[in-house]
Amino acid sequence: MLRFPTILTAAVVFSFLITEAVGIRFVIDREECLSHNVEYEGDTVHVSFVVIKAESPWHFSQDGVDLVIKGPGGEQVHDVHDRTSERYEFMAQKKGLFQFCFTNKSPYHETIDFDVQVGHFAYYDQHAKDEHFKPLFDQIAKLEEALYNIQFEQHWLQAENDRQALVNEKMGRRAVHKALIESAALIGASVLQVYLLQRLFERKLGTSRV
Amino acid sequence: MGTKWSWRAILVFIWWCASTSTTQAIWLDLPPSGTKCVSEDIQNNVVVLADYSLINGQEDAHMPSGATISVRVTSPYGNNLHHKENMTHGQFAFTTSESGNYLACFWVDGHHQGTKGLTVSLDWRIGIAAKDWESVAKKEKIEGVEFELRKLEGAVEAIHENLIYLKNREADMREVSEKTNARVAWFSIMSIGVCIAVSILQLWYLKRFFHKKKLI
Repeated sequence: MLRFPTILTAAVVFSFLITEAVGIRFVIDREECLSHNVEYEGDTVHVSFVVIKAESPWHFSQDGVDLVIKGPGGEQVHDVHDRTSERYEFMAQKKGLFQFCFTNKSPYHETIDFDVQVGHFAYYDQHAKDEHFKPLFDQIAKLEEALYNIQFEQHWLQAENDRQALVNEKMGRRAVHKALIESAALIGASVLQVYLLQRLFERKLGTSRV
Repeated sequence: MGTKWSWRAILVFIWWCASTSTTQAIWLDLPPSGTKCVSEDIQNNVVVLADYSLINGQEDAHMPSGATISVRVTSPYGNNLHHKENMTHGQFAFTTSESGNYLACFWVDGHHQGTKGLTVSLDWRIGIAAKDWESVAKKEKIEGVEFELRKLEGAVEAIHENLIYLKNREADMREVSEKTNARVAWFSIMSIGVCIAVSILQLWYLKRFFHKKKLI
């Protein structure tokens, strides 16, 4: 049943449908460039990034980064400006080293979660004559690629969730701080008022009763 | 005759799968001075495999031969998991015992003083991607369609676990949101209460003051 040409077909098919995925987080100061090798021309490259947090003290400025994607020959593939989260996919026109450069315009350090996934297209061996097994391998290959895409999306979703969790915590703390500072300011303002009025009337009374 | 060919087929298949291990690496540019750190949020009980090596840049015709890097990997609680100096390439592997942010830091060693930084290729695999499928295939003697389906089953389980983790994170976040909502309401009422109380106190104090000074 396991005929040699069949296994060879399977080997060729599956060896080409291997997906690469990388997910890392790093802190960006001004500019940061990462490179990733795309092995075959015509591969689909999925890239996503999420700005997890910015180290600004009050977090009221828009913290976005720019991303520029350059191909192996230095030509620009794509660029986005001032985004906190972005997902993009493109087909690699050439094989080689693709460069992903982030630029941070705000004065604070930002933590970025970056994920890149390269999906190969399965090459089918033309010499396989066994039509009975070929549709099965096709479907399995498509399933594998779909699963890797799901993993890629999940990574992005997790990064977005992390960002929102940080925003939520900050919002909770901020509500408490705001209430306390407001109360202190009110008390301070009324004490100041009382003091000033006292001083005013004492002076007026002092001059008029002499 | 048939079994001999089928064994050869299996060997070819295993060899193919082993030889076409993909370059999953990402290339980082290390500055000449300073540390470049890469982190990842990893859950508990997950296998992490990483491989790092220095890359000879294409434009760098003569790379200084003494160029070495140092690496340190720390756990979320600050424990040092791996620390090596003067390396050009190496690997580290560990199983996480805490859930949190794991940090891998690289820096250029001091005696290599150059204006140009170095490029490090980092291949970082977590969880299901770190699983050694070839040994699983050999141990359980599965091949072909069954092997691929086993890999897919592993991937689906990993996705399921990840989804459960995301669900728990979302539940935590929802709790914090609800707490914040309640806090905003209560603390606003407290603020208004403080304002009213303080102004009543003011009025009372000033009235007493004017009574004392015989103005009222």
